[in-house]
Amino acid sequence: MTIREALTHPWLTVRTQIALGIFFVVAALPKIADPPSFAHMVYNYRLLPGPLVNPASLTMPWAEMLLGVALICGIWRRTAASLVGALLVVFIVAIAFNLFRGNAIDCGCFDVADAGKSVEERFHDMWMVILRDAGMLLLVAQGLLGADRAEEERTT
Amino acid sequence: MNLRRFLAEAGTLVGLSVACALVSNALAGKERRLPLPGDYPNATKVTAGREARPLASFEAEPPAVAPGVTESSSPATSRVSPSPETPAASPATPSTSGRTVPGEGAPAGSSSAALARGQTVPPAELLGRFPAHGQPFVEITGEAAAWLHARGVLFLDARRSRDFVQGHVSEARSFPVWEAEVVKERVEGLVAEGRDLSLPVVLYCSGGDCEDSHMLAQTLFGAGFENLLVYRDGFPDWVKRGGAVRTGGPA
Repeated sequence: MTIREALTHPWLTVRTQIALGIFFVVAALPKIADPPSFAHMVYNYRLLPGPLVNPASLTMPWAEMLLGVALICGIWRRTAASLVGALLVVFIVAIAFNLFRGNAIDCGCFDVADAGKSVEERFHDMWMVILRDAGMLLLVAQGLLGADRAEEERTT
Repeated sequence: MNLRRFLAEAGTLVGLSVACALVSNALAGKERRLPLPGDYPNATKVTAGREARPLASFEAEPPAVAPGVTESSSPATSRVSPSPETPAASPATPSTSGRTVPGEGAPAGSSSAALARGQTVPPAELLGRFPAHGQPFVEITGEAAAWLHARGVLFLDARRSRDFVQGHVSEARSFPVWEAEVVKERVEGLVAEGRDLSLPVVLYCSGGDCEDSHMLAQTLFGAGFENLLVYRDGFPDWVKRGGAVRTGGPA
């Protein structure tokens, strides 16, 4: 078994995609439960024009929730993994942009309450978030390669 | 996988997300409902750190000055229109009407205890120290907040309702600025009370880089209030100073 075969083995793919899905569902729950707090987090990123803050704050958690459920259940695997990847890229760019311009913010990824962190703690955590999201992108890549392999095996 | 199928699936997922978002927002209680599209005037502007912002100077005991000195005790410190001729570092030279204030000379914390809350204070005394500045807000210290609290000035709490219930400045009213519908009703109610709009109103949230009180100030300024004072260090500082705290919901 080559390394590629091992990494795209259906046994592994099923588990990574379920793990990724659970991450997204868990992340979505507090945001769905408390939209004003999440809107506050989105506002703190200072990226979206005012009128878009609330619609984005309402829709994004539900997108995370549905994509997470799709990954867990194995429905539309490739589409779900691609969209999760797109969301992760958006998160990384948003955090990196604020790091670059020196705007220390709470991530608002898994927790929407203001943790009262210092500026230094926030910058440190922002780097950690970028690393974590990059790690989740690897899970997305694994899912897409796994889906490719499944399709190849179906056609041959 | 072909592009058409991908777009169909992605469109379905996005459409379902929007539908779920709209339904859940429609079903949410008013503490949790977000207005569409929402109103955030400074949404893409990164504000200066709090250390970079000047603070209105305040001394509990005003220096002896002749009545009629016209310089303001609260130099313009708003980020909106800082006035260069009154730098915040300048010593306070408040104009007073020459009266002595009960509790003056003692630290502000104890003066708040010395003066019974709700005791009527002539508006002239408040306005002598904190004249209407006609800006969205001026930031004040905890000492100034304690002085104002002791004189029965209206305090508004801009934090979320649940934070207010867990503890707030005694006699403060809850104006949770992120709960748009709740705060809209309360602002309308406050305006309908027919208060003198030039009298000071103190706004606070949780200090640090919290800007909820500044946002509330913008709203109230738009409603005609002319003397909005933001207690910059907010509730944590109030607790640290040993100020009067109450728990429970809005009365």
